Amino acid sequence: MSIAIHAQSISKSYSDDHRALDEVNLSVNLGEVLVVMGPSGSGKSTLIRTFNGLESIDEGRLEVVGIQLDSNQDERQIKRIRRRVGMVFQQFNLFPHLSILDNITLAPIRVKKMQKKDAELRAMSLLSQMGIADQAMKRPAQLSGGQQQRVAIARALAMDPEVMLFDEPTSALDPERVKEVLDAMRTLASAGMTMVVVTHELGFAREVADRVLFMDAGKVVELSDAKTFFSHAKEERSRRFLNQMTN
Amino acid sequence: MANQFKARQQHYRRWQQKPIEAAFSVLILSLILWAVWSTGSWLIAGADWRVVTHNLPLYAFGSYPADQRWRPLVWMAALLLLTITTLSGDHLPQPLKRLQPFLPWAWILMVPAGVVLLAGSANLQAVPSRAWGGLTLTLLLTTASGFLALPMGIGLAIGRTSNLGLVAMLCRIYIDLMRAVPLIAVLFFGQLLLPLFLPVEIEINRVLRAVMAFALFAAAYVAEDVRGGLQSIPRTQAEAAAALGLNASLTMRLVILPQAMRIAVPALTNQAIGLLQNTSLMAILGLIELLGISRSLLANPEYIGRHLEVYVWLAGVYWLLCSGMALLAKRIERQGRLSTSS
Ligand SMILES: Nc1ncnc2c1ncn2[C@@H]1O[C@H](COP(=O)(O)OP(=O)(O)OP(=O)(O)O)[C@@H](O)[C@H]1O
Ligand SMILES: [Mg+2]
Repeated sequence: MSIAIHAQSISKSYSDDHRALDEVNLSVNLGEVLVVMGPSGSGKSTLIRTFNGLESIDEGRLEVVGIQLDSNQDERQIKRIRRRVGMVFQQFNLFPHLSILDNITLAPIRVKKMQKKDAELRAMSLLSQMGIADQAMKRPAQLSGGQQQRVAIARALAMDPEVMLFDEPTSALDPERVKEVLDAMRTLASAGMTMVVVTHELGFAREVADRVLFMDAGKVVELSDAKTFFSHAKEERSRRFLNQMTN
Repeated sequence: MANQFKARQQHYRRWQQKPIEAAFSVLILSLILWAVWSTGSWLIAGADWRVVTHNLPLYAFGSYPADQRWRPLVWMAALLLLTITTLSGDHLPQPLKRLQPFLPWAWILMVPAGVVLLAGSANLQAVPSRAWGGLTLTLLLTTASGFLALPMGIGLAIGRTSNLGLVAMLCRIYIDLMRAVPLIAVLFFGQLLLPLFLPVEIEINRVLRAVMAFALFAAAYVAEDVRGGLQSIPRTQAEAAAALGLNASLTMRLVILPQAMRIAVPALTNQAIGLLQNTSLMAILGLIELLGISRSLLANPEYIGRHLEVYVWLAGVYWLLCSGMALLAKRIERQGRLSTSS
């Protein structure tokens, strides 16, 4: 089985007295869905943001889609990674001054040098997959949160990434809008996309995750396959967290 | 009926209880009436408007050769036409609507077009910049320095917010320095001192020197307005662009700057209007723009004592120009809002 992401004791701190990531080891297999859980401030965002170079690492080695990264941030390597790794943010982060269609075609045209026509065809087909083809000409502000997040997913997919990173993609949504985004992610997972998903959605994690990474205070507490994690987690800390979540 | 009567009675009673307020109200009202009456009667009966009506071509073109005045006239007519086209926006008839995407380019082209028309070229007789004047010169100074200051200001703002230490520092020093110096000093420097530093043979056109000085000055203020816009764009926008593989300059050009400029439009409008008004400072330095030509008219014995007429007329002209600019800016602002939210 080939490996999409491999982290070898990576550490990162924002301040001297506190480590946001503390010697994290993990690997993500191609085609796998890894769900990352943990209490607030445990370093989940920091971890997945190191995977596409949005955060630098202080120590350790990282290999993403076969490209090496270490503590001296090599811009060229990072750029190569970003072309092949998509990311979806909690707050969608669509470009408010561009139409939905332009949001999606921007990177394919400017980074991949795709023809405008081809990029737009591809964008429209992605939007239909997401069930929002009729919104293509609108601006982000005219869409609901759930629709915006689906646009954000389509925008990332338009670059044909090998890995998709999700940082709490449903946390900013109204409860009745969560399902439409999770459904889109389910479809993506069943199509074999390699995904790293930070989420608190237990139902989604149970159903879609292959493995679960549980973090606390910048450390990996437990990395188990999903069935084990949800039925009898190895660590006391994980069990306590799951209890809190279900109550 | 009874109710109405009662209300009125109460009304009167309130006034009775406040005799001082009542007296003041009457006094202020009569002052206003008196001012309106005396201004109105002066405008219609007292003023001698010949100083304006007999010299309209001078106000418009300065001492531009009479047989060549069609050139500034064509330029100003084009400006007016462009302004009206831009303002009417959605109400344009269908065939003209297709030209709308070219409007920004037309605006940018107005400046070089004006310079060529006024100065002359292959087929046009050369007219030295000494002879440019009046409204023509005011408009040329404003548009030329405005269109130069905008890209310079944007560059300075991006430089100042960049993380290249040296560039950021140089931009900051330039901006702070320019903002600490009064405009008139910058203009004096441009007009009087700059030629001293240059060899005698090189004589830079006076108008060009003025435009450069204005642009250098205004760029610092533009930079601060644009920086305000840049800083109000959340960092997450740049992150989203980076995550898609866009490099720093594409991110700036396609994602950050367009949003920042929309935010900066109202502040930039103020700068543009200020620039127009400040061109009148050039009269002190001997350029015969609107104010300059007025002053030289007032120096003519024939028009002695006609200050009031001339300055009221000037105020009207400046007011019209500034209102036109404000309307244009509102239009741009609305366009920007349309393309972000609705
Ligand atoms: N830009 C930053 N500057 C300084 N400290 C930061 C920064 N980002 C995160 N931290 C700190 O690093 C630690 C990990 O933060 P991180 O955002 O990765 O946690 P998280 O698990 O994603 O939390 P949440 O569930 O609240 O999103 C926290 O202690 C946080 O305060
Ligand atoms: Mg987080």
